[in-house]
Amino acid sequence: MELLDIITDETVFIGLEASSQEECLQAMAGGMEKAGILSNKDVYIAAVAEREHKGSTGIGFGVAIPHGKSSGVQTPGLAFARLKSPVEWNSLDGKPVQLVFLIGVPEEAAGDAHIKILIALSRKLVHAEFREKMLAVNSTAELYQVLQAI
Amino acid sequence: MKKILAVTACPTGIAHTYMAAEALGQAAVEKQVDIKIETRGAVGVENELSEADIAEAYAIIIAAETDVGEARFDGKAILKVAIGEAIKDPGKVIDQAMALPPTTPKVIDQAVKNREERSFQVTGPYKHLMTGVSYMLPIVVAGGLMIAVSFIFGIEAFKEQGTLAEALMTIGGGSAFALMVPMLAGFIAFSIAEKPGLAPGLIGGMLATKTGAGFLGGIIAGFLAGYVVQFMKTYIKLPKNFAGLLPILIIPFVGSAVVGLLMIYVVGTPVKAIMDGFSGWLANLGAGNAALLGLVLGAMMAFDMGGPVNKAAYTFAIGLLGTGFYGPIAAVMAAGMTPPLGIWLATLLAPRKFSAEEREAGKAAGVLGISFITEGAIPFAAADPFRVIPSIMIGSAVTGALSMAFGATLRAPHGGIFVLMIPNAVGNLGMYVISLIAGTVVTALILSVVKKKKAEV
Repeated sequence: MELLDIITDETVFIGLEASSQEECLQAMAGGMEKAGILSNKDVYIAAVAEREHKGSTGIGFGVAIPHGKSSGVQTPGLAFARLKSPVEWNSLDGKPVQLVFLIGVPEEAAGDAHIKILIALSRKLVHAEFREKMLAVNSTAELYQVLQAI
Repeated sequence: MKKILAVTACPTGIAHTYMAAEALGQAAVEKQVDIKIETRGAVGVENELSEADIAEAYAIIIAAETDVGEARFDGKAILKVAIGEAIKDPGKVIDQAMALPPTTPKVIDQAVKNREERSFQVTGPYKHLMTGVSYMLPIVVAGGLMIAVSFIFGIEAFKEQGTLAEALMTIGGGSAFALMVPMLAGFIAFSIAEKPGLAPGLIGGMLATKTGAGFLGGIIAGFLAGYVVQFMKTYIKLPKNFAGLLPILIIPFVGSAVVGLLMIYVVGTPVKAIMDGFSGWLANLGAGNAALLGLVLGAMMAFDMGGPVNKAAYTFAIGLLGTGFYGPIAAVMAAGMTPPLGIWLATLLAPRKFSAEEREAGKAAGVLGISFITEGAIPFAAADPFRVIPSIMIGSAVTGALSMAFGATLRAPHGGIFVLMIPNAVGNLGMYVISLIAGTVVTALILSVVKKKKAEV
């Protein structure tokens, strides 16, 4: 199982134009819906919003990893966006966000291989070097290259 | 090197749990701090902290938004941070943890911990009995002390209608002590069969009191109720529609009927005979036999310092206290006080035979001793069991035997030296104090002789 198995062209947004967190999430979830990851986009977005409400997923360094465990998710999946201009995310360090990893996990998915790969991604994001590589990504192909290395 | 532990957890268990773990791990490497991190996320608990890890850790960082089972870290330096804090500034979090004031396991904490651990470890009938005793104890303490206070006004003062002494006696003797055996039986049954066991157990215990089967009858009633109810819970299968009747109607009714009838027609009479015989024997105990009983009880108190043997002697004495025999409880309490007291005295008499740490711990043991917490001797006994345990057993046996031989009595079941200050609570106070001192001195002298000299000092 690799990260590339759960991300598709439809869920990669390089240079996404969004003026708010909500707009950004809507666009990315739209891609996940198209890719067949979501069974009910609204239910999923609500779960993501609730998670944000409990505490921002903006982990600092311009990165956010919104996520939702929801019955609106069919199979575990990942969407990636590099925003054209940073948006406000209530991040831990107060800085706006430019890289967004949106994670979707079905309600009943504990312990499954997809989860493990998403956990690996979470761990990776803590490292500055990895984040710099992600920020430098300019095309879907380049993104895949970086993600493949996980 | 200081070792640090951390636990990370978040509600979803996908992102923050692991980012915090990664961030802390990375920062620890940079700071050259030895760290182990437990993650509690969507894939369960990983890299779980063992008891050994916790024991040797300097401090524990908890970066979590959910429960992480904190009780296991009791007594450790703990730093709680928001999980975001651990991700954003892991270096600072580690610095804070390293800067926590060090915790050293204290003798008193250790004694308490030993006590708790033991109650966790025991199983089977002994555990049930101890559960019953532990629920009964507060009632005995409340009742015993209430009666002791009533004696301040004079031993016979409660016979005067309308006085405070009479009121106190009604609270202590009339009410608290009346509940003693039912509580014991009820919670033995509760320990065996959980909630459904309680009603038949309480009722059986009450019958034990009424039929004169007393304390012993109460223990039998408790086990009887517990196992009868457990049997009913296991073997009675009702159709689904009626299943709800089992705990609320059938078990309380049938269980209590079975236990109650057995108590009245089968158990009550022979056990009453045993109790009466035993009471008669105790009442007419010559000084020699009394001393022998005190000797055995005393040695038992010191043998395992709060363990099963100690509790057996104590429970026995409590039962007699409830039946109106105040001698054994006096012997048992004094004998339970001498082990830590004797050790404390030994650290003063023969300082060269104890490490600096032990001499310090000796003071704490002294405090525990005057409070009748025998467990205070455990750290010393654990370090050198073959010298310490026989020494304290001999001292306690001396105290127990003297206390019984002098006919010292005690109307309260606990309280250590403090209960001695209540007028009339202790019968033959002067000789009781002498018994206590004698055992303490004997323990200390034996220890001073048998303990090996410490190389250091």
